[in-house]
Amino acid sequence: MTRYFFIKKFSPLFFLFVLFFLLWRSLFYAHTHELPSALIGEPLPHFQLKTLYAPHSFLTPTVFHGQVSLLNVWATWCQACSQEQEMLMKISQDYHIPIYGIDYKDNADAAKKWLQDYGNPYISIGSDPSGDTAIDLGVYGTPETFIISPHGKIIYRHVGVIDQHTWDHVLYPLIQQYRDTQ
Amino acid sequence: MKLFTALFFISVACITVYALPTDPYPFSSEKETKRFVTLTQEIRCVVCQNQNISSSNAPLATDLREKVYRMIVEKKSDAEIKTYLVKRYGEFILFEPPFNSLTLLLWLFPFIGLLAALFFVYRFAIARHTPSLL
Repeated sequence: MTRYFFIKKFSPLFFLFVLFFLLWRSLFYAHTHELPSALIGEPLPHFQLKTLYAPHSFLTPTVFHGQVSLLNVWATWCQACSQEQEMLMKISQDYHIPIYGIDYKDNADAAKKWLQDYGNPYISIGSDPSGDTAIDLGVYGTPETFIISPHGKIIYRHVGVIDQHTWDHVLYPLIQQYRDTQ
Repeated sequence: MKLFTALFFISVACITVYALPTDPYPFSSEKETKRFVTLTQEIRCVVCQNQNISSSNAPLATDLREKVYRMIVEKKSDAEIKTYLVKRYGEFILFEPPFNSLTLLLWLFPFIGLLAALFFVYRFAIARHTPSLL
């Protein structure tokens, strides 16, 4: 009888505890702003973007074949992108990783000026004024960076600014793996 | 002077301004219009997460509406449009989550809750009608 009484008395407390635990977890540990991409492991979707500096040539997924590279989606109106630029310069100069850019919903003149101010780490930049290619890539917030394998497949997608910490612990180790297998 | 004033008001009254609503998403059939309205209400704006793309003014929502519009015009089915978006933005983009192993508990919980509630009501009723167990 006493055991039954014990369960009856403490079960509400137990339920409350479980509830609090779940709420606490979703409050502090849920990554609601990180959306999974189902494109990981898949080849890049087809695109053909006019390049910023040579409007008669195009940036297409074929440029990514042969070496592991980065595809960075940015815009001049994106505050965080200007913060990230320094790190991207470092990646191209010190780590010698080829970086390609997609200029998302932007004005070509503004973009050129912006690159003069903040630096241009890109081998080639495709302009995506309509944002169509960005939708095809599942971009929802700039800057976004994709790691592309030597076979032109998407290995990883990073949303937000790349800082030294994420570069050292997440992106660079992944890139090295693909460099070794090359 | 009075005549001028009168003329002025009469001429003002004669000017009628027509503000015809121009449909930004013209469809060839009523059915397609309905599909567009339903679909855009079922798709989440991933930037402003608690709004659908039909009611959101975010630039990405506008682009996604445009994309859905073009896919409907290209005679893509609702399922094809949803698959396209889920592939890129994850299942989160749909307000109604699909029924799978991940969402099993989510879908079944209301029924479990209802059964539990019935069970407790039953227990409570029994306890009231029988002498105390203690």
